[in-house]
Amino acid sequence: MEVAVYWGCMIPTVEYAYELSLRATFPRLGVKLIDLKGVSCCGSPIKSVNRLAADYLALRNIALAEETGTEHLLVPCNGCYLSLSEALHHWRTDEELQGEMEKFLDKEGLTLEGGIKIVHTINFLHDIIGLEALEKAVKKPLTGLRLVSHSGCHILRPSKILDVDDPERPRKLDDLIRALGAEVLEYPESLDCCGAGLLLSHPETAVSLSATKLRAIQGLGVDGLVDSCPACHMMFDARQETGARAIGYKLSLPVVYYTQLLGLTMGLDGRSLGLHLNQSPVEKLLERAQKTFP
Amino acid sequence: MTLRDLTSEAASEGELRERIVRELGSEFQSCFRCLRCTSGCTSMKLLELRPHFVMNMVKLGLVEELISSGIVWTCALCLKCEERCPQEVSPSELITLLRNLSFQREENVPEAYLKVVSSVLETGFIQEPMEVVSREFEEFTRESLGLPRLVGPREAFSENLIELMTREAG
Repeated sequence: MEVAVYWGCMIPTVEYAYELSLRATFPRLGVKLIDLKGVSCCGSPIKSVNRLAADYLALRNIALAEETGTEHLLVPCNGCYLSLSEALHHWRTDEELQGEMEKFLDKEGLTLEGGIKIVHTINFLHDIIGLEALEKAVKKPLTGLRLVSHSGCHILRPSKILDVDDPERPRKLDDLIRALGAEVLEYPESLDCCGAGLLLSHPETAVSLSATKLRAIQGLGVDGLVDSCPACHMMFDARQETGARAIGYKLSLPVVYYTQLLGLTMGLDGRSLGLHLNQSPVEKLLERAQKTFP
Repeated sequence: MTLRDLTSEAASEGELRERIVRELGSEFQSCFRCLRCTSGCTSMKLLELRPHFVMNMVKLGLVEELISSGIVWTCALCLKCEERCPQEVSPSELITLLRNLSFQREENVPEAYLKVVSSVLETGFIQEPMEVVSREFEEFTRESLGLPRLVGPREAFSENLIELMTREAG
C-alpha cells in the first residue's frame, strides 16, 4: 500500500526519532511512504494570529498530498492532524471559504478535490493495519513490561471531526501497545495535556504541566511512557529535566514513541529507530525489554 | 493589572461583539454558564483562566479588556472545553478569535508567536532543521541521520500568506 506522508515542522526539524522509527517500521508492515515536496507548516501555530491563514496553510498541504493520488494522507503529528482535519472540514462545509481558498491555491498552481482521507499514525496502525497484522510482525514481544500511554489532545478533540473511539477514555494506543506483548495500565491523569500549547506564551507553566503528569506516572512504578506526538514527546522527553527543576521533583522516566517500541519488537536496531536521540533514560526500558526477549 | 481592575470602568464594544457572534455562529450565545469548561480547563489551576468568564465578558462586549489583560494567551488549546460543552459552544475557538484580534491590534502578542510567523513566512516552517545531540553527546543533523532533504514551498506561498494575514479578522 502506498501512503503520502506529511511530516509537519517539528518532526523534520528536531524530533528525528519519530521520523526515523516510522520510516523503519512502516515498510515492514507493507506500507510504502511517499514524501511530499513544497509542503509547509500545517497552520497550527498560525491559527492564533490568523484563522483564515491557518486554513490556507493546511489546505495547500492537502492539495500537494492529493497530487500523489493515494487514498490516505498519513499525518504523524497530533497538531498537524487536527489542523488538516479541521481545515478540510471547513472546506467541505463552508462554500464561501471554499471559493476564497480556491483563488489562493490557484495562484500556487494547486487544486483541491477534498477527497483524501487524513489519518494519524495511531489510527492508521489501529484501524487500517489492524492489531492482528501487528501481532504477526512482532518477533520479540515485550512480555512483562508495564507501560502507560499518552494519546495527546489533538487526536481526541474535537471528536466530532476526528476518528476517535472514546474521547474521554481512548483505548486505541493502549490496544496497540498490548499487541506488542506489554501490559498497559490505565491512570487518572491519562487525559492531562502535555502543556506544549503554552510553550510560546508561558514556557514555565508549560513544563510544570508536563512534569506534573510525569510525576504521577512515575509514581505508578511503570517501565515507561509511550506517546505518538512530537510536541507531547518533546515535553516529556527532551524537557523532562527542565520540568523536573520547575516542580522541584526528581524525574527519571523512559519516554518512547510508539513506532520506536514497535521497531524494537520487530527486532530492529535501536539506532535505526533513533533511540539514541531520546533524552529521557530509555536504557532502563531497553534493559527490561532485553530481559523479556527470549 | 488583573482582569477585574480593567472591567470596573470598561466600555462595551457592541459592534465588535456582533462581529464575533457572526463569525462564531449564533450558538455562541447559548452558553448558560454551567462551568464544565472551567472545571476541566488545563490552564485554570496555574494561570487562572476561566473559559466561561471569557465567554461572558464577550457577551457583555468587553473585548478590549480581554485583549489588554493578556488572558487569551493563557489557553493551552487542549480543546477540552469545546469537547465537553453541553451547548456545543467552543470557548477555545472564541479565545483563538480574540488572539487574532490581539494580533491585528498589535497588542500583547507573545514575542515567540511573532518569531514563528516570520519563520513560516521566510522558510515555510516554524524553524529550520536543527542539530541534535544524543544522550552520549554525539551531534546529528538530518543529513548525518540519512534523512532526505526538506524541500519548502514555492514563492507564491509567502505572497498568499502575507495577503491573508493582513486581512481583518471576523
